[in-house]
Amino acid sequence: MSARRAELSRRGFLTGSLLVAAGTVLTTACSTDPTGGSASGAKTTLNVWYHAYGEAGTQQAVLRYAKAFTKANPDIAVKVTWVPGDYAGKLNATLLTDSAPDVFEIGDFSERFVRGGQIAALDDVYGSAKSDFNANAISSVTVDGKLYGVKMIDDVIMLYYRKSVLSKAGITPPTTLDGLIAAAKALSTKKNKGLFVGNDGIGDSPSNAVWSNGGDLVTPEGKVAFGSAQALEAITALKGLHDDKSLLLGFTTDWWDPAAFTQGVVPMQWCGLWAMPAVQSALGDDFGVLPWPAFKAGGTPVVRVGGWTSCVNAKGKNVAAAKKFAQWLWVEQSDLQRDFAESYGFHVPPRTSVAASAKKLSTGAAKETVELAAKYGKHNPGTWDTAVSSTFNAAAMKIVGGKGDPAALLADAVKKAQREIDKQLGR
Amino acid sequence: MNSATDTTVQPEPAGRPAVTPRGAARTGRSGPGRPRVGRSGWIAFVLLTAPMLIGLGIFKYVAIGWSFLLSLSDARGTISLGHWVGLDNYQTLLSDQTFRDSLLNILLFTAFIVPVTFAASFGLALLVHRIRRGRALLRTTFLIPTAVSYVAASLLWKMCLFNGLPTGIANMIGGWFGAEPVPWLQSTSPPLYWIVLVTLRLWLQVGFYMVLFLAGLQAIPKELYEAAALDGASGRRLLTGITLPMLRNTSVAVLMLLFIAAFQAFDEFYNLFNSGLSGTGTAPVQTPLVHLYNTAMGSQNYGLGSAGAFVLTALIVGVTLIQGRFTGFGRSGE
Repeated sequence: MSARRAELSRRGFLTGSLLVAAGTVLTTACSTDPTGGSASGAKTTLNVWYHAYGEAGTQQAVLRYAKAFTKANPDIAVKVTWVPGDYAGKLNATLLTDSAPDVFEIGDFSERFVRGGQIAALDDVYGSAKSDFNANAISSVTVDGKLYGVKMIDDVIMLYYRKSVLSKAGITPPTTLDGLIAAAKALSTKKNKGLFVGNDGIGDSPSNAVWSNGGDLVTPEGKVAFGSAQALEAITALKGLHDDKSLLLGFTTDWWDPAAFTQGVVPMQWCGLWAMPAVQSALGDDFGVLPWPAFKAGGTPVVRVGGWTSCVNAKGKNVAAAKKFAQWLWVEQSDLQRDFAESYGFHVPPRTSVAASAKKLSTGAAKETVELAAKYGKHNPGTWDTAVSSTFNAAAMKIVGGKGDPAALLADAVKKAQREIDKQLGR
Repeated sequence: MNSATDTTVQPEPAGRPAVTPRGAARTGRSGPGRPRVGRSGWIAFVLLTAPMLIGLGIFKYVAIGWSFLLSLSDARGTISLGHWVGLDNYQTLLSDQTFRDSLLNILLFTAFIVPVTFAASFGLALLVHRIRRGRALLRTTFLIPTAVSYVAASLLWKMCLFNGLPTGIANMIGGWFGAEPVPWLQSTSPPLYWIVLVTLRLWLQVGFYMVLFLAGLQAIPKELYEAAALDGASGRRLLTGITLPMLRNTSVAVLMLLFIAAFQAFDEFYNLFNSGLSGTGTAPVQTPLVHLYNTAMGSQNYGLGSAGAFVLTALIVGVTLIQGRFTGFGRSGE
């Protein structure tokens, strides 16, 4: 009997220690202790969320910023949570609870957070620096005349191409969609495809196509505009890329990762500025950047400007402190903003004065990209949430795959998207 | 010949081996044990079951009730109640072509995957049961994939086996026979992605159901086969006359588990088509759960998401009841 008891307790001890170990791993992996030497003396602890940036050193950087903030404001400690995986899903779920972060970033700003009363207006945070932010950064966070976030970084998304491969094939960088389709076809060989826009074969291409033909997705008033004749014409034209079988499909990573391009699997890829350091180190000078070409000669090319916006939880307990943090880091600290934008992956600082002083962004392809963004940059409308974008992309997917009548498919999508947006805006 | 038929039409003993221990236990307990269930017994009962019941109550039934109330309200970006809209969410959902397509997809998927998994795991169980040497080794080999998670397996299938490159394993094997490399997950005509989805699920599931069948096979008394063999039955006759009837309870349970698992399909559909960015709107095929995940978690429309959950639950309950009616699950075999 006693022997048995000893065995049980040993097993219990083992399970117990395993649980403790697992718990420790879980808690240390995802968040840090409140930073700052005076953490114990701090009156408030801010919970700050970031998605897991892929570039090495980014996590250490945001921890450093948090420490510096606590040094400047000894009564506010900052707890940074680094969220791997499905960031939007986890954020949405946590915002419903008491453990919601006080400050968090969102990719591609969505008005939905404003309509739900989840984020606070930040007009007072900007102060006189407002005019220093680029127009895209201001308009993307403006809802009904108020600013609901501070853009942290602009992510410019454009076409990369291999100079050597194109010149060897005697192809000049395409300036029209027809040119792109022809180039992609000519660059496709038995082993390699000519262009990578995403594993699903469409990626951002439908919205690019609409913009590049002078169309719009949703008007600022919340009216769905992608049902226009230009939009239909442009999306239908994308079918050429699919019919020619010149698109890379089913690569091991998706379009936001430069691996397909750097490994020489495709000579042209739709990807972001963030990947430029990786592209440079793999290919040296043998690459160039292009906007998504104009639909017709003389039209407007497109680069997409996404990026991340810092928001303050309106339902949090520490709104004032949270505003202070967002202001300190993303409005005032231009050195840290520059560090964040150019020391890890490349991003464009939304403040024009900071962007102008970023050395790595003022030479070569990075400089070209920054200029492209200023000239042709487009951002997704604030009403463009998953329900709306999925509807649009699913219709585009069917159109380019030749499944059904394009006009009818698009008209259906418009109806559905409009219903969704009307609900979003409470109409 | 006549006697052989006698042995075969005897499903009654089928239930018997399972019933006997239960009966024995009952007689043991109803002896002097019964009256002693006094206060201390009740306290022990409450103490032991309370944590489970309280947990179940809070985390399951309250949540289910709350979800039902949510399905009747317009809940966007919130899970608090109050904005009642009646059956609006259900109406929106059922008039949504995407959701209806996803229901059709899941019905087709179920109609295919359930019989195939059933046949494959039963066949494997028969083979593994019959061999003399290396049974443990084979049993383990077939069971191991069950321990792999759907997410890990999906990544493996997506990145190694069925990627669109000429160097992908499936394309490489196809290349030996002169086939062009194809993007398996993106080809819609013909819909090659079904091959990826079906092989993945079979690889993960067959081993588990094989073990259930093996357990059933091992519970069949040897004497039955011996007696039948003496009467001259063999091969197919033993299978249809003894093995299949004796496995009735196992088969019914396996069938029910398979139906439920198929209707709840999510993991591989989500992970194979997810780009890591904005949901799976462009996936060539969506299951109801994937659609609802995108609705609730992506667009924060919890009302619509809850309504979908109840539609799907109703479907599963309905199918299970119909299946129970046909196969007699839960009826004592007579």
